[in-house]
Amino acid sequence: MKTIRCYLADDTSSRAAGAERLADTWSERQEIQLIRTSSRGAFFLEPMVERETPNGREAWFNVAPNDLPRVVAGVGGTPVAGIPFLQQQTRFTFANFGITEPLALDEYHTRGGLKGLAAARSLSPEAIVEELRISRLRGRGGAAFPVWKKWQVAQQIRSEQKYVVANADEGDAGTYCDRMIMEGDPFRLIEGMMICARAIGATRGYIYCRYEYPAAARAMRFAIQKAREADLLDCDDDPFDLEVVSGAGSYVCGEETALLESLEGRRGVVLAKPPYPSESGLHGKPTIVSNVLTFATIPNILANGGAWHASLGTEGSRGTMAVQLGGRVKQPGLIEIPFGLTLQDVLDRFGGGMAAGSRFKAVQVGGPLGSLFPESQLDIPICYDAFAEAGAILGHGGIVVYDHETDMVELARHFMAFTADESCGKCTPCRIGSVRGREILERIQRGQGTAEDLFLLSDLGETMKATSLCALGGRAPYPVLTAIEHFPGEFVRRQG
Amino acid sequence: MTIRYKDRFAEILETCRPAWPDNPNILKALLAVQSARGYVPTNAIPQIAQVLGVTDAQVAGVLSYYSDLRTQPPGRHLIRVCMGESCMANHGARVFRAIQDYIRMTAGDPTQAERFTVEQMSCAGNCAVSPTIMIGEDLHGGVDPSDVPLLLEPLS
Repeated sequence: MKTIRCYLADDTSSRAAGAERLADTWSERQEIQLIRTSSRGAFFLEPMVERETPNGREAWFNVAPNDLPRVVAGVGGTPVAGIPFLQQQTRFTFANFGITEPLALDEYHTRGGLKGLAAARSLSPEAIVEELRISRLRGRGGAAFPVWKKWQVAQQIRSEQKYVVANADEGDAGTYCDRMIMEGDPFRLIEGMMICARAIGATRGYIYCRYEYPAAARAMRFAIQKAREADLLDCDDDPFDLEVVSGAGSYVCGEETALLESLEGRRGVVLAKPPYPSESGLHGKPTIVSNVLTFATIPNILANGGAWHASLGTEGSRGTMAVQLGGRVKQPGLIEIPFGLTLQDVLDRFGGGMAAGSRFKAVQVGGPLGSLFPESQLDIPICYDAFAEAGAILGHGGIVVYDHETDMVELARHFMAFTADESCGKCTPCRIGSVRGREILERIQRGQGTAEDLFLLSDLGETMKATSLCALGGRAPYPVLTAIEHFPGEFVRRQG
Repeated sequence: MTIRYKDRFAEILETCRPAWPDNPNILKALLAVQSARGYVPTNAIPQIAQVLGVTDAQVAGVLSYYSDLRTQPPGRHLIRVCMGESCMANHGARVFRAIQDYIRMTAGDPTQAERFTVEQMSCAGNCAVSPTIMIGEDLHGGVDPSDVPLLLEPLS
């Protein structure tokens, strides 16, 4: 019997959607061989089985074990190029997703990988930073700081030791693109970090990976081992020492100074800046801390030139945005598009409408510190400037859609409780304010709130915004205050 | 048995002793202890502090700071229910209640003691296939409250 080669994603979310069960059931079947790839990010179609045809790959969606005859006969497949959710995207950083085996270095190479590193090696460190300046790349972790400025600072300081640290503490609920990169295209992260190492003259790197991502940490460790065996890990002929370090469940460790404290084994408490990590970071040495997605964006910039990157997106937001759609929509998943599409466009084109039985209520952009948008405000373009103007953030690109069943008072309480749990305790307004905020909201929930409580919440929120060192305390009031602003009835109705 | 455990504990700690000129890394040491033992007993703090060359208070401080470090032994199966926003929107709270109900049902049975530890987690990064629960390192997505008995029954 002829064995047919098919492709099935091996990423955590695909496995959770049933890919693992499918692979187990089919493992004994002679007629099919499953190649385990990264996931395309269209998670609503997973488990999705693909096979090669003369006209490109065809896919079967939401495959169950007894669909085997259909797949083997080649009946009922859809051309992958014709899947609207994927077809309308502009994939650069995520171009390999769903296509390659995550740990196949040769495939990464064949599909254009390592070109950026080769280009960087032919450039002087100053020229690499110049290329990034031209690209106008801003950090993708949430702070959106121009990447080249950080690199230039670290580059210009003379130090016998410098560090490159990938922030893989993807704590914002609603985001998962860093996890996908580490599990699905780990060499891209390594390549980005190597380019940074060359630009600033670093010989040691760390990937600070959250405890909740065991599969990502495992994939990165394998990939580092493979890269080392292929003699890729060197910086100007010095070996570049790269290590995956595990966090232990602290949201605030996604903030760079707290992350570095944690990396040194201490409590992950936020430190006042300056000095910035690029001047004095890990063990007091110049350190570049960037998000996984930021590093993963860099290989293409070096390979295609900074001007290529700057040609995508909007005035203040160049390149592509990795939107991670979740919540009560029909089609949650990863969407890579140039900046500039409106929130409404993204929901219409990719979301596929609300989940069965659900009516739209609000959407939250930017994780647990992001603002809520009601239906009337969905015409906002997805770019840093428009969001900053609206007092909102893009954060790490998480978009969560809430439906009519969502209780806004409970949601607001959840955000304050989250901040109270995760506050590092450094700034009093965050440490104590979040607890008081939660108590006020619990009072409102019990029907014992007064008109004064909403005023108190707003006053508390303004204090936290103005007096917290990092974004946790500084941004935590936004989802609460926007919930009150857009859905005041729910808060007033429960007043005693 | 006790002696062997103690030797093993000392062995793990020994791998965490900082080699000059490195600084001690308390978090790494605690994670090493936890991955070997399942938790970090608080009565081991002085010994950990001594090997690392730091104070007991520094070790206790790190131990209490990180929510994934535990000072009590977990049940045979650690179940974490995601309470991230996407899971919230998709009624993760109902799944959490279903798990609690299931466990309550078996509360009087002595063979069920220490079977499960149930916790909430802030986000599992599985937002597109929510609601999510993690059983050990295994992640289950799109969980309906009615799936809970099916998922937990086979875990002895």
